[in-house]
Amino acid sequence: MSVIRTTLFAAALAVVLSAPARAADPGITDSEITIGLFAPMSGPLAAFGLDALQAARMWYEETNKKGGIHGRKIKVIVEDDKCVPNEVVAVVKKLITVDKTFIVHGGSCTAAAVAAQEFVTREKVPHVMLNASGDGAVIPPTRYVFGAFAGTQRTVGATLAEFAVKELKGKRVAVIAHDDDFGVANSTTFKAVATALGAQVVAAELISPRVTDVTAPLLTIRAANPDVIVSTAYPGPAVLIGQKYGEFAMMKTPLVQAIQGIPVPSVYAKNVGNDAALANFYYGSPLNDLTEGPKQQKWLALYKQYYPDRTPSGFMTYGLPSAMAVTRALEKAGRDVTRESFIDAMETLNFETEVIAGPTAFAKDRRDGARSSIFVKFDGKAHTLMPGVYTWDGKAGM
Amino acid sequence: MSPLLLQGVASGIVTGCVYALIALSLVIVYKSSDVINFAGGEMVMLGGYLGMFALLWLGLPYLLIFPFGALMIFIVGALFDRVVLTRVVGRAIPGQSILVAMIIGTVGLSYVLKGAVRVIPYTEEVRRLPPFSSGAPIFVGPVVLQHQDIAIVVAAVAIMAALWAFFSFTLVGKALRATSQNPRAAALVGIPVRAMSMTAWGLAAALAGVAGILLAPKLLITPDMGVIVILALAAAIIGGFVSLPGCVAGGIVLGVVQNLIGLYVSSRAISLAPFLVIMIVLLLRPQGLFAGKAAAKKV
Amino acid sequence: MYGAPPLTRLAPLALLLLAGFALPLLLPQYFLYLGNFLMMFAVLALGLDLLLGWAGQFAFAHIAFFGIGTYATALLNVRLGVPFVVGMPLAAMLAGLIGLAIGFPATRLRTVYLALATFAFAEAAQWVFNSWDKVTGGPDGLRIAAPNILGYRVGTDPTAFPVMAVILALVIAATMYLTTSKFGRAMCAIRESEHVASASGIDVRSTKAWAFAISAVYAGIAGGMYTLFQSFVNPDVFGFQQIVLLLSMIVVGGLGSIPGALIGVALLGLLPEVMRTTMRGLLIWQELVYGLILIGAVMFMPRGIWGFIAGRRGSR
Repeated sequence: MSVIRTTLFAAALAVVLSAPARAADPGITDSEITIGLFAPMSGPLAAFGLDALQAARMWYEETNKKGGIHGRKIKVIVEDDKCVPNEVVAVVKKLITVDKTFIVHGGSCTAAAVAAQEFVTREKVPHVMLNASGDGAVIPPTRYVFGAFAGTQRTVGATLAEFAVKELKGKRVAVIAHDDDFGVANSTTFKAVATALGAQVVAAELISPRVTDVTAPLLTIRAANPDVIVSTAYPGPAVLIGQKYGEFAMMKTPLVQAIQGIPVPSVYAKNVGNDAALANFYYGSPLNDLTEGPKQQKWLALYKQYYPDRTPSGFMTYGLPSAMAVTRALEKAGRDVTRESFIDAMETLNFETEVIAGPTAFAKDRRDGARSSIFVKFDGKAHTLMPGVYTWDGKAGM
Repeated sequence: MSPLLLQGVASGIVTGCVYALIALSLVIVYKSSDVINFAGGEMVMLGGYLGMFALLWLGLPYLLIFPFGALMIFIVGALFDRVVLTRVVGRAIPGQSILVAMIIGTVGLSYVLKGAVRVIPYTEEVRRLPPFSSGAPIFVGPVVLQHQDIAIVVAAVAIMAALWAFFSFTLVGKALRATSQNPRAAALVGIPVRAMSMTAWGLAAALAGVAGILLAPKLLITPDMGVIVILALAAAIIGGFVSLPGCVAGGIVLGVVQNLIGLYVSSRAISLAPFLVIMIVLLLRPQGLFAGKAAAKKV
Repeated sequence: MYGAPPLTRLAPLALLLLAGFALPLLLPQYFLYLGNFLMMFAVLALGLDLLLGWAGQFAFAHIAFFGIGTYATALLNVRLGVPFVVGMPLAAMLAGLIGLAIGFPATRLRTVYLALATFAFAEAAQWVFNSWDKVTGGPDGLRIAAPNILGYRVGTDPTAFPVMAVILALVIAATMYLTTSKFGRAMCAIRESEHVASASGIDVRSTKAWAFAISAVYAGIAGGMYTLFQSFVNPDVFGFQQIVLLLSMIVVGGLGSIPGALIGVALLGLLPEVMRTTMRGLLIWQELVYGLILIGAVMFMPRGIWGFIAGRRGSR
């Protein structure tokens, strides 16, 4: 009797063990999760992407050192997308259809993220952006794309408006932005929020990102007599604006510059070359502290450990929140994680990154992770943190 | 005239001289080799970086960085002509235009220069060359001008005058003119045509480099600042593309028009201005606003 | 060399069609995407080569017609529900008409001036794409709805691939006929010398203007092809860099020859992918390498790669 029972039991066991494993998603093995990581690593926008990507890698390495996630180590395949939409599409298609990664994690440029959106949605592969604002791809939210880990351009515009009106008591505000997708997004939200708060937008200038002279826009703004000026220009034009603002002696009107134009404030001050022009100057930042402030030191120290030969750009820590979100979601989803359960887990996230101001949060109908900004008064030498964390409510200006 | 307009015009004249300086470089190359030097902007960029290097690292006094930069870029231009262009010309097949190949060559040079500079991590951040003299701004009525602005205008006029004298009175200058008008006849008379071509390129390159040093305090130096070549092209076209004083006039016209459009139309339209100007001038008056009647171009 | 091309020359096209239908079943989407991209660029390059290599007209407006073709086809589909089989030809004709309109005044200009004027037109067109928010979506770009070809839904790489191959084969065949026709002869004559051509009875102005128009139609077709496999378009696609890329492709491949244009497209189109995989640690050097390749090509192979090969083979 026992022999038959043992044999039957053994046979049953054999059948169960030899049954094909439940079909798992690509990129997951018993010991590894493969993540496709991409950012601009060459070309004119390398400064935006390279350090952020390396920071994300650093986070994954740290996670691996602590034992990985549910017994699996994270393996990373890195690609350069140059911030060009065609290249991003090519890179994403390669990572998904050739390298068969579990998810794709990358993108520092919004247009590129939008270009890839349809493909990742069709293939049902989660795409977590790196440090891209990603406005067009996260608003309106779609299931597979998560982004804006340092805020959308709408957040930039909205928080600038709140700071200008509430803190600087502006009643007549002026904005100067670029005529590209960023500039249009942040200036539109700025105008809507400022108006809703009771201020009047007396001038809204749109300039090309390749501009070499800002005399005309600054003259127009000066003629409109604003009591706060806000700029969301990129590094080069931002310096030109600062210079012209100084040349025209407009310092009695405070100037607030969004972070995209001032990655390293000391370099900005050196380039403007005239500290008197910064007497009434502020800049915004999505971080929780000054770029080299005490709360950011641990990340800078960690980066130095991993990449001793490289001085990181001001955008380095921006790569961390997205990587943190990925590892948290993988933890939450458990050992049997699939692409769909990963997304469900991402949607429940609401955590403090210790990198950016405010929490990183998603929901069923929300795909922009960060909505907060701090402001800093900068006179060319000293940074003074302004009180308060400004947050966009996700609705104003839409 | 409203102070707004006056300031717009004054600043436009200064920016226009910026374009003019680079346009001069483009026109010299064109007159010598019939080629548009698409690497002109990168030569300006290289001049700016070399100027920074000389000033901040080598510790040269400000006035000396000009000849330093000019010499280095002269070498770049002359070498490019000697190594690349003479080869392209030498392998020309009769009946087939080599212009395209030469232009692609200059495009290649622009990528080489830009790529080489971008490899150096120092160039990741936007940089600025300190101006020659930074003092309180100068007020002319309601108009504000910086010391560097005056320096640029003075330099543009001075360089143009010097070039005019060079081409009219010196032997080398006259030889260059002869070679550009008729290379075969020049060769017959004993002018070393190849050396002339190298000299023209070197001169144009040096000019672009000096423009870079002058403009760097105003424009900021990034590896991508070469895009300004498009505005210089527009300036050269307005001036007729074969006339040196035309470059200065064309540059000033372009600078002022851009500011006027920015003030009275919209800032967004500023970037369209140079292209509109190019099309209108070429369609209505291809010889430019400042040359004489349209001359028969050699076919 | 002139007269209708023999059927043997059309044989490689059959191979193209075969690949077009077979490869989607064999290759991952990444390679099909690259293939689609190259096929679209091939049509662009052939069009530019007609104008530059065959007719000797140094015109840079090509990229503007590409943009017009893309936006027009996409907008006709998204806004008016016009199906692709009607929309693309309409868009291509629109591009051709604008090309004709540009062609007549532009042909009064010589070489460098023509280049600059057409280049200015291309930049102005890009400004329009970027600023005409209501129509083109401005800097935010336009999402492209998956086109529908007589019931067959396209929009992904595997589904678009055979259609692209068919269009490319037709375009290549048309180019072969065009270049060996009387019109083709007229273009060559103008390239060699306008005076002599005119003296031989060729209407130089009209031929040049028509060459512009036809070249623009090619670009318009390529624009339609864009909508077959891409889901998004924004003005950045139609800028100076693309024109430089196109020009480099036909110069490096060989001006005035169909195989030359195709070789150039394949080489320079795949170069970024090759560099990306082989230069992993040295990505920052890509620009420099690209520039050196361009310079090397014009220095050592002035007739392009095809000219080099053909010269070696002794055939001419």
